Amino acid sequence: MLAIFKREFHGFFHGMMGYFLTAFLAAASGLYFLALNLAYGLTDFSYYTLYRTLFMLLLYIPVLTMRSLAEERRSRTDQLLLTSPVSVWEIVLGKFFSMCAVFGLVCLVDVIMILTLWGLGATTSSLIANLAGLLCYFLLGCSAIALGEFVSGLTESQIIAAVSSFSLLLLAYLMPSLRSMFYAGSAASLLVFAGLSAAAALAAGLRSRSLVLGCGIFTLLCMGLAALFLFRSAWLIEACSAVLEALCLFIPFEDFVNGSFSIPALLYYLSAIGLFLFFCGMNLEKRRWN
Amino acid sequence: MIEVSHLTKEYHGRPVIRDLSFTVEDGQICGLLGPNGAGKSTIMNILSGYLSPGEGSVTISGHSLPQEAREARRCIGYLPEIPPLYPDMTVQEYLLFAAELKKIKASERREQVLRAARRTGLEDVMPRLIRSLSKGYCQRVGIAQALLGSPPIIILDEPTVGLDPAQVIEIRTLIRELARRHTVILSSHILSEVQAVCDKILVLSKGELAAEGTPEQLSQKLGAQEILHVTALGSRDTVLSAVQAIPGLEEVQLEPSGGEGEVSLTARCAAGGDQRAAVSRALAEAGCTVIALTSEARSLEEIFLALTARAPGSGGEAPAADESDASGEKEE
Repeated sequence: MLAIFKREFHGFFHGMMGYFLTAFLAAASGLYFLALNLAYGLTDFSYYTLYRTLFMLLLYIPVLTMRSLAEERRSRTDQLLLTSPVSVWEIVLGKFFSMCAVFGLVCLVDVIMILTLWGLGATTSSLIANLAGLLCYFLLGCSAIALGEFVSGLTESQIIAAVSSFSLLLLAYLMPSLRSMFYAGSAASLLVFAGLSAAAALAAGLRSRSLVLGCGIFTLLCMGLAALFLFRSAWLIEACSAVLEALCLFIPFEDFVNGSFSIPALLYYLSAIGLFLFFCGMNLEKRRWN
Repeated sequence: MIEVSHLTKEYHGRPVIRDLSFTVEDGQICGLLGPNGAGKSTIMNILSGYLSPGEGSVTISGHSLPQEAREARRCIGYLPEIPPLYPDMTVQEYLLFAAELKKIKASERREQVLRAARRTGLEDVMPRLIRSLSKGYCQRVGIAQALLGSPPIIILDEPTVGLDPAQVIEIRTLIRELARRHTVILSSHILSEVQAVCDKILVLSKGELAAEGTPEQLSQKLGAQEILHVTALGSRDTVLSAVQAIPGLEEVQLEPSGGEGEVSLTARCAAGGDQRAAVSRALAEAGCTVIALTSEARSLEEIFLALTARAPGSGGEAPAADESDASGEKEE
């Protein structure tokens, strides 16, 4: 794992990519830091700089992660990795940690800014709140990196990987607004779940190449949904909003922006990281069997 | 030692390998020979652990795939068809990375890398970026990577592709050297290459084993049609009748001879076995002096074509059909 980590990390700084990305994100937070925190003497770094530059991650993360697995596959170097005595988890984690380390460099620049605020007279409690906010920001970035790595493992093309992970992150970013549309009622929830069932049934049908199985699954799920809709429509609404809430990747960070320390938010990001890395490893392993 | 029994692999529902069984003993150089698309690379990918075996069992040095894939991968050095190189690294960095990936101890890594580089003639290009290397050097870096850690089994997929003739000879010498301490499996669609280095040849056609054996055994299996070239002193009729009287010789034909009083002819040994002694004795009894007597085995090339054309549903007929189509178009 260490070998892959070192290679990947050096790989970023062999070319321009690592320098460029780090400069890009550091400049973005530096700009907000200068214009808001320093110019107006505001000590809340989490809100004025980190929270307001969150949308920069939508660009930064896809470009950072697009190469990771897609390029290996295109240039056939995955044959070296997959035929050496390392497990797919070591490959996935080595790459993940190297990208986290590159992202960590930007966070180090943020630490300097936070310490500058402290040196200029911010209270120690605000220093701790800012550092806690930065920790959550880092974890948020890491979970987006895990998502990006998973997407990169699905394709051979870096461009497709970048565009797909940008779209997914954008969807997660806009989800709070999209979600409000579904508060309307259980009918909307029913539609959402019917759509999800159709997708699941289609996937199962295609996978097993059996029309009967696909239709059967869809019928069963729809019957279940109809029963819920008729007898317990409140459950449906709640379940729908819970599913949609879980997709709001950027929302738990707001807990930290308010100056509070939220264990659930940290756990949310850690489980998102675990989930996507698991998918990523499974996908790599699956390719051996095709 | 590699044991493959009843291996079948499908790729997107299409069988690429069908019921393949073979064994490679320790220290052997085994050549996989077959036209493009015969399944050579797929077999190598399965042996190296890149792809899982479909049905059937594969055992590498006592580790069965895919249950003990990791231990099996430890026993193998693999050069894929396209060398897996990172163009943004120098040769030295790349080999050190590969050594670390193969779990070679940190204290031994540099020495192992140096040794592999020396064996493949890479010492001079160690500080250069892989991006700037020629194809031949890239191939050598790939081979050096496969040698790292001195694995008992080395799998080389078309190792001499893209090399110039001098390099091809170097690599063949290297492969022969390797066979002293390693088991080597290499694939090729070039016959002379396999003939030159391998102890054992597996001829594949459309994912099936068309034939296996040593180069000599393969010639024998196909009815060992050795051709005798005879040159003797004497009158044409005496020599001809003496040779024609030998049982087991067919198609005795006169050839234009070089000197005066010399008679040259060729004959085909039908039954197999060496007929040179019989020819020599018959001519001596007829009072003719033998000046030259050589036997020529039928070339592996012809055997290869015969084997791959003979296999069921093989492409033997397809090229002919293509040709007739092409000629048909010309006529129009």
